[in-house]
Amino acid sequence: MLDFTSEEKKVVLFVLGLAFCGLIMSNLVKINSHIEKIINPQVQLAKINLNKINPDELVKIKCVSVKLAQRIIEYRNLHKQFSSLEELKEVKGVGEKRYEKLKEIFFIE
Amino acid sequence: MKRAPVVLAVFYCLGVILGSCIWFNFWVVMGLGIVIFAGAILLRKNRYIFSFLILFLALFAGALNLKNSRILPKDHINNFVYYKDDSLCSLSGFIDSQPELKDNYLQFIFRAQAMQKDKIKLSCCGKVVVKMDFSQKLTYGDNLILIGSLTRPYNFGAASQSYKDFLARQGVYLLMRLNDPRQIIRRPGNSGSKLINNSFWLRAKMESIISRDLTDLPAGILCAMVLGQKHGIPWLVNNSMIKSGTVHILVVSGFNVGIVAWIINLLFKIMRIPRKARITLVILFLLFYCLITGSTNPVVRATVMGAIFLAAYLFKRIPDIYNSLAIAALFILVINPSQIFDIGFQLSFLSVLAIVYFYPKLEVLIHLKGCRNKILRFISQSCLVSFSAWLGTLGIIAFNFRIIAPVTVLANILIVPLATIITLCGFALLLSGLICPALAYLISVPTSMLINLLLNINAVVIKIPFAYIYF
Repeated sequence: MLDFTSEEKKVVLFVLGLAFCGLIMSNLVKINSHIEKIINPQVQLAKINLNKINPDELVKIKCVSVKLAQRIIEYRNLHKQFSSLEELKEVKGVGEKRYEKLKEIFFIE
Repeated sequence: MKRAPVVLAVFYCLGVILGSCIWFNFWVVMGLGIVIFAGAILLRKNRYIFSFLILFLALFAGALNLKNSRILPKDHINNFVYYKDDSLCSLSGFIDSQPELKDNYLQFIFRAQAMQKDKIKLSCCGKVVVKMDFSQKLTYGDNLILIGSLTRPYNFGAASQSYKDFLARQGVYLLMRLNDPRQIIRRPGNSGSKLINNSFWLRAKMESIISRDLTDLPAGILCAMVLGQKHGIPWLVNNSMIKSGTVHILVVSGFNVGIVAWIINLLFKIMRIPRKARITLVILFLLFYCLITGSTNPVVRATVMGAIFLAAYLFKRIPDIYNSLAIAALFILVINPSQIFDIGFQLSFLSVLAIVYFYPKLEVLIHLKGCRNKILRFISQSCLVSFSAWLGTLGIIAFNFRIIAPVTVLANILIVPLATIITLCGFALLLSGLICPALAYLISVPTSMLINLLLNINAVVIKIPFAYIYF
């Protein structure tokens, strides 16, 4: 009835397979919100937790000099931890431009 | 000689390298080249002498082309700017690239047409990199007048990664930084090519389809894998993929070009278009895809190779991968011989060459063809392809990036098949987004999950002891 070539069959099966996977997953997300963690990448994969990073790792990050890393660690030790990324602006050497760059690299948890 | 393009490409490349190492007078070498050329015409009946002279001509052509590309025309903008001269000038011309946000700067290449400095107006040519620290809606081809000071780029990287040399290879010798919107005056009209303008429009449309159903991170990764746009990839993701040696999946390569060719061919096959017309259309679509993805070295290489392969079918000839690789290299190096010193060019060609050369030998060495278990054979083949590419690029990566990543082979075995499926999903998402947005949403869900899996595998792999070593 359906006169598909072998290549067309592969494409139809691939697209239908994807669509059914999508249907199953979007349904599962509605039932159990924890499943969303499996679908959407967590922030930890793309950003670094500013409250957990150690000084050696901090120095390796682009746009963070040795001095700035020291100041960030000092600030974190003094205040126990960062409660928001905005607090980075209080560290000496972090202006508006550098903050915009650091905001892309760090997150707070 | 079955592989004449390979030998010619090797001699041409040697000529380019020699041309960069040795100082010579252009006209003296050109005169010598003319003599050899005349000799080749006169001695064309003697096979050996003719071949020998042609190889010499290829060598000379490489050196002369490099020398010529480094000589700037008299009206080049670089000739009007003195060292440490920060006086203001007004530059009129048009935007010659799609403006991109890089490190909080809106950056684009500006093609200068006229310059005004100290009340003297001069017509000029040449390209300038413009960096703006404010946002403004600008597109490729916009006619502008820029007011600012022109500076030369600094050499702050290592010799092999120098920013100044990187820009010089693209024909850019000057920078202009703008920090006030009043430094830009718009002129009416658009001087860009219509074809490029349309390809950028289509790329923007495709990016919007990808980001419509996916969150920022998966959308950024998919845009890089399918459209070659890396601006949405966070620094940490890029860095961790460099460590695992899998960063090549974040660029458009031969694999993507192959998929595009396959999809277009299939669509035309369904429409029952005759074979010859179909192949011609596929070649045209590949050229358009090359424009959409920004015509980077790997895409140009893959497009030229793909076009040669398809043309071989069109003219009923047997395609040879070494010859098509050599022609692709010649195609890029004739346009811009300095590209031979670009790390991206070297990695792109060496990885393909290493796979083509080492893989069949390794396959014979471990008697892979005798293996009857299909799954085991597939895994072994993947291992060998990754190992071949790693072997071929090891030296260049170690020399330029000071990193050796033994985990690369394992990471590629795990990540490349996943990246293959993600790329296929990406193309399915794009096509369905254009035709049926509801289906696009459904496809986006498993795509996002696969990207999440890829990132998690990469994060685990680089935590293995001695996964990568910086030296």
